[in-house]
Amino acid sequence: MIFPEVSWAAIAPEIALVAGAVAILMVDVQWKPHTRVLGGIVALAVVSAAVLSVGQWLRLDTPGDITTPFGGMIAFDRISVLARFVLLAVAAMGVAGGWRLFERLGRRAAEALALVLLATVGFSFMASSIHLVMIFLGLEVGSISLYVLAGITRERTESDEAAMKYFLLGSFASAVFIYGVALTFAGTGRLALLGQRAFLDANILTRPAVLLIGLALVIVGLGFKVSAVPFHTWAPDVYQGAPAGVVGFMAAGAKIGGFAALTRILFTAFPSMTDEWSSVVAAIAAVSIAVGVVLALVQDDVRRMLAYSGVAHAGFILTGVVAGATATTGIWFYLAVYTVQLVAGFAIVAAVTGSAGSRSDLGAFAGLATRSPFLAGAFTVALLGMAGIPLTSGFVAKFGVFVSAWQAGFEWLVIVAVLASVIAFGVYLRVIVVMYMREPGDDAPAIPTVAARWMLVAATVVTILFGVLPQPLLDLARNAFSV
Amino acid sequence: MLTWLILIPVLGAAVVALLPRRRTELVLPVGIAVSLIPVGLAGVLFFQFETGEAGFQFLQQATWYEPLGISYRVGVDGISLGLLVLTAVLVPISLAASTSIDRRLKEFVVYILLLEAGLFGVFVALDLFLFFVFFEAILVPMYFIIGIWGGERRIYAAVKFFLYTAVGSALMLAAIIALAVIHANQTGVPSFAFADLLALDLSPTVQRWLFAAFGLAFAIKVPVFPLHTWLPDAHVEAPTAGSVLLAGVLLKLGTYGFLRFNLTLFPQATVDLVTVLAVLAVIGIIYGALVAIVQPDLKKLVAYSSVSHLGFIVLGTFALTSGGLQGGVIQMINHGLTTGALFLLVGMIYERRHTKKIADFGGLAKVMPVYAGFFLFMAFASIGLPGLNGFIGEFLVLVGSFATLPVYAIIAAFGVILAAIYLLWAYERVFTGVPDKPENQRLVDLSGREIALLAPLVVLILVLGLYPKVLLDKVAPSTEAILDRIEQTTDFQVPEPGRLADVFVAEGGGE
Repeated sequence: MIFPEVSWAAIAPEIALVAGAVAILMVDVQWKPHTRVLGGIVALAVVSAAVLSVGQWLRLDTPGDITTPFGGMIAFDRISVLARFVLLAVAAMGVAGGWRLFERLGRRAAEALALVLLATVGFSFMASSIHLVMIFLGLEVGSISLYVLAGITRERTESDEAAMKYFLLGSFASAVFIYGVALTFAGTGRLALLGQRAFLDANILTRPAVLLIGLALVIVGLGFKVSAVPFHTWAPDVYQGAPAGVVGFMAAGAKIGGFAALTRILFTAFPSMTDEWSSVVAAIAAVSIAVGVVLALVQDDVRRMLAYSGVAHAGFILTGVVAGATATTGIWFYLAVYTVQLVAGFAIVAAVTGSAGSRSDLGAFAGLATRSPFLAGAFTVALLGMAGIPLTSGFVAKFGVFVSAWQAGFEWLVIVAVLASVIAFGVYLRVIVVMYMREPGDDAPAIPTVAARWMLVAATVVTILFGVLPQPLLDLARNAFSV
Repeated sequence: MLTWLILIPVLGAAVVALLPRRRTELVLPVGIAVSLIPVGLAGVLFFQFETGEAGFQFLQQATWYEPLGISYRVGVDGISLGLLVLTAVLVPISLAASTSIDRRLKEFVVYILLLEAGLFGVFVALDLFLFFVFFEAILVPMYFIIGIWGGERRIYAAVKFFLYTAVGSALMLAAIIALAVIHANQTGVPSFAFADLLALDLSPTVQRWLFAAFGLAFAIKVPVFPLHTWLPDAHVEAPTAGSVLLAGVLLKLGTYGFLRFNLTLFPQATVDLVTVLAVLAVIGIIYGALVAIVQPDLKKLVAYSSVSHLGFIVLGTFALTSGGLQGGVIQMINHGLTTGALFLLVGMIYERRHTKKIADFGGLAKVMPVYAGFFLFMAFASIGLPGLNGFIGEFLVLVGSFATLPVYAIIAAFGVILAAIYLLWAYERVFTGVPDKPENQRLVDLSGREIALLAPLVVLILVLGLYPKVLLDKVAPSTEAILDRIEQTTDFQVPEPGRLADVFVAEGGGE
């Protein structure tokens, strides 16, 4: 019997997170502590995972340095570490931003917090796997945690409905994905991505149909996770129905995991078939952008609006994906800055319309600038960032993927994307108009928790800082991979 | 130095934002004080500027993001110098004119200062990425200024303004990316630096596409007919300070962009497309003037007069003669001064009467003689009375364009007459006759503060009207360099009288 090579160092951060999740559940059963104690455990787990990740980064000397321990299941490289950093940041921000929800959940807070950590672990494995089965496992761990989180306020029917919808459609997408995996296995005889690449490099397929169908299904399955058109229909309902306190994390985590897996699969296993998949991805990108912004424009609920804008953003990121591995820097920069804005946005939605509630009418934001200048300011920066106004990180992000796509010869896609960005301005301006230019109703002032406040300060600073001086983050992303 | 010009308003905005909430009375003085520093800096720039040099001066550069060839490069030449001074002068004046802003004053001052920083940035940027950043970032403060402190339909106007201008700049962004990629294909590394992109070898077809993308962005900003519909809305709804800066400086981004980028980066396309732009410019001149005549609203009248005046600048620019280009640049400054002043005047009467309808006034000259005097002066400057600044600009444009586009020049000349009609007719209805309406009989004439606001503009108008050489000498080398470049890179040769005009200007100038 052959034992695969074991490298604890490669999965140490995930172990820390799992340990944190387990500890939360145990401590909760044994001592029934205050929610704050559980929050402390989350913080401890996230920080130690982050520290371990820094250690990993330093151990990997060069950008291209990659080992595949556990029998070629796990990729120990800088991309994995980078993805985990983003995920940890999003998890920490999500918990801080939705803290009021966790306090209100009472006895169920432990479950919710443990699920956040487990979802992080799942998506982190999606990013660091280099084997299709392992990617699927990560996807399922992450997704199932999210299904439960969506329904965590189970006494509310909207929350149940959202969870059910998410679960049914999500399982369907997982099934499509795994079927696609099976077909790529049928086409290449391998499941490890590097093995598939080696096979494709060594052989010329005379009948690639099976492999192409498999690849298409893989794209469909992950397209669901990142909510790209036409697999986006769940997003608005789930974003609206799930408790506001966790939606930000849910949306961001799924996007990061989905794109990490998608780019890993396409760039590692199938670079030789770029011509085949890039036009399909480009079509999905264009439709996602167009449909996302147009539908976002007509929403009267801020959460549905953010959901549709998330669809458009998936399209923008796919605009980078079509360019292939050279766009990796841009894609990760985009993911990092967008998810930060997204989580910040939902933290504000939670603070304004209630962390457990399900509706977030635009009207609730009327006159927020006078009721709570801080929240209005933070939301404005996040929205301008999502809109991609210069001097925010969102502009640099969009610019990066546009340049990549143009260089790859997808000029038409860039033109579609820039024009759609203008419509997207309208989407975000609507909210800003309501916050700054309408008289407040008799709504009580919205007061964010201290944790949410600090989180929003951090998100605002990051959005502006990386808009003015993007070089450090771009360098970090650039050092994470080699073409 | 140029970096300081951009940074000081930003720092000033931060200072204003951090003023204690209760001390609202400090906000405006601090804001004005901050905005006076750039006036000094711009003055120093103006006098230290090496006259007779065509290239960029006061250059500064730093790498920003190297892998993509994005850099921070700033510099000034004869074309941007005057616009910097204009911006620096108009900001403190428009701030000081904003005493009637009674709510959220602090935010207002912050947005104005950020706007100022963005405007300086646009005019000095020598990297297309940097230029685009400022070009687009300007929209945000202006959007808030119109949307929060504007008139009744302010939100409609603000959103229209934002989206209209954003459509144009979106395609320009694509074109900028295309240029950088072409640079990467030709030299191996991408670059957004203006100087690098000038060296590119672009086929006529590529030039036309890129010209169209840049041109659309600038044409919307100018605004060139038929893309002007955002302008009356934005102007009418904006608060006085907003209108002054919008008309005075923001519109010039379009004409400046044409001159700086379209003519130099895409010379062949420029030569090929002259007719299109000239036709649109002339339509704008005549149409803007005709619509201005029938406006019942004083502010709208001034707004439409901008469409007409900006048409002259575009016509001059695409005349591709020395006179046309120089006249265009001078006219940018002139229009900023006179229209800025007219908007200030309209704002002052609005504060007193809370109406801008021409029909609501009459006989004001008897009640407010000083006000009437200033209004008449500015109207004459705007019409182009010899001795005042407007004359020099329009005359140069017409002489310059007659050399290459005689038919257009002749039609455009009617715009001057129409300008006299709408402004003088408006003057007649507002100021002459008997003040028969009781509300008008008790109006107070201009205060010392208001006169002090207008005085610097009057001085500048007289200086430019009587001795335009002070500016023309600095402008001419830069515009000549553009013409040289067009002649070198295309088959187009400026016909003889076109290049002669500069001799005549350099010697005579002010008549």
